[in-house]
Amino acid sequence: MVGIDETLFLDGPPCVVIDKVAMTYKVESSNDRSGSTQGMKGVLRNVLGRSNRVTVSALKEMSLVVERGESVGIIGRNGSGKSTMMKLISGQVAPTEGGVYASSTPILLGVNAALVPELSGDQNVVLGCLAMGMSMEQIDEQFDSIVELSGLDSAIYLPMKSYSSGMASRLRFAIAAAVNPEILLVDEALNTGDAQFSSRSKARMDELRAQAGCVFIVSHSLDTIRDMCSRVIWLDKGELIMDGSPEETTELYRDFSAHLSKGNNISATRIKDDARANLVATQVLERTTGRRTERR
Amino acid sequence: MSAKKAKLPEPAGIQPLSVDMRKLTRVGSRPNFLDYLVKLWDFRQFIFYDARARVQSGTRRDRLGSAWLLLNPIFNGLTYYLIFGVLLQTSRGIDNFVGYLVVGIFLYQFSSGAITAGARSIRNGKAVVQAFNFPRAALPLGANIRELLSAVPLVLGMLLIIVVFPPAETISWLWLLVIPAVLLQGLFNLGIGMILARVIARVHDVTHLLPFVLRAWMYASAVFYSYDRFISDPTLLEVMTLNPLFNVIDIVRSCVLYDTLPAWESWASLACVALAALLVGFFFFWKGEETYGRD
Repeated sequence: MVGIDETLFLDGPPCVVIDKVAMTYKVESSNDRSGSTQGMKGVLRNVLGRSNRVTVSALKEMSLVVERGESVGIIGRNGSGKSTMMKLISGQVAPTEGGVYASSTPILLGVNAALVPELSGDQNVVLGCLAMGMSMEQIDEQFDSIVELSGLDSAIYLPMKSYSSGMASRLRFAIAAAVNPEILLVDEALNTGDAQFSSRSKARMDELRAQAGCVFIVSHSLDTIRDMCSRVIWLDKGELIMDGSPEETTELYRDFSAHLSKGNNISATRIKDDARANLVATQVLERTTGRRTERR
Repeated sequence: MSAKKAKLPEPAGIQPLSVDMRKLTRVGSRPNFLDYLVKLWDFRQFIFYDARARVQSGTRRDRLGSAWLLLNPIFNGLTYYLIFGVLLQTSRGIDNFVGYLVVGIFLYQFSSGAITAGARSIRNGKAVVQAFNFPRAALPLGANIRELLSAVPLVLGMLLIIVVFPPAETISWLWLLVIPAVLLQGLFNLGIGMILARVIARVHDVTHLLPFVLRAWMYASAVFYSYDRFISDPTLLEVMTLNPLFNVIDIVRSCVLYDTLPAWESWASLACVALAALLVGFFFFWKGEETYGRD
């Protein structure tokens, strides 16, 4: 690994800076190797919080700088750390090391989070919008378009707990899409719902993308990624493999997956290793003064 | 698993990039205490809407609806009256025992309900916490405002019982003092609820202990007996007068039942403990702001 001596300078403030971020989870394993979980010993270990804990490294240390106007696609296999990355950027989870810096609050457009099941759909719309910092006047203005986007019609006045999972996720998406965020994160949101909803949500997404300062998209559809993004990041097992143009990166990744699905693990690994060996990683230097002076 | 662990090659190079970070803030970071309070104020509409919507939906499943807000403490009071007034005769030496008991039970119910709701607010609101970025104190605050709103019919019901049941008390201007007393009690509930909310967000086991502690607190607050009948030790009495719930009950009783102005010491003690609890609660909760909703 060689350090490149010449420091590059970024004009203007960026949208998102990921500075030496790493993420490890401590999870309980049901794999019973270190002793019994029953009996006194097990109870004691539970009380002390030391039961069979395994450290999982979801994301290895990495740095990225994303500028205004960029839309970044994140691709990779299952468990490569894509969703973890999104959660870190949105602030849902805190990184174990490093920090994520943003010019405004990033909004994660997912379909996973539930709202308040006891309340009706329209109450959840108001509550969710208020929670995103909108004012009552803004909500009154947008209410009809949110309901329209969700496609719930009169079901909007029923309690959320009576909704099907598809209905709930449509409402969830419609609420999150109501604000025009500067930094937009999209986690597989396009793939839910029926055909009618997906075309409606795609239209809204395009609108949002046009207005947003920068966009992050996680998707398994490489075509979506190539169409929508100006830069693509390939993650594998928590490591940054490639960071480049949509065409090149998706092409290589497609190659990689093709080899994997045929069982050619060795050639697949070679493709991955080659990509990684050509990666130019970023090191973030914080510039506090306005002048372009080289620090360190 | 694979026999040999493939080692990923190192990147070709590392490009230092100088970035102007002055306009950026760390995602999910905790603002300083005063900024936090300002931010909370910006979310006041969210807090009130949350509180109001949940008061309405809380009893939607029941046929009698909101009437349960009133019926619940009435049945509770009836039970205690039968057990402690009729069977165990703790009422000896207390005139208007029904009024005495009703004040104690109803005000205890307000506190125990509000503290429980506040304590569980972060756990119960996990989905909302994970979905949106807002000052987390909005949840315990909303829960407490909700409890305060449902305390209005509670207090009205309490006064109604006192007026209707013999020996009926007469309404006087002193009854208005019930309002500041209950508000101070609400501040105390909020403070304690916020402390517990952070504790329970971290160690969920505490929810199981909460009912026992609240029950013990009730027995220590002279809800259905006259404290001077059991406690003669002066130091124990001193400790008792620090108990905010005891003070609230004492103040309300002297206003409503005995038609006397409550002692200023009771007010001072209640106000100090309530404000201290509020301040400590807010500060303690704010300290943990970045940890809520994360496992």
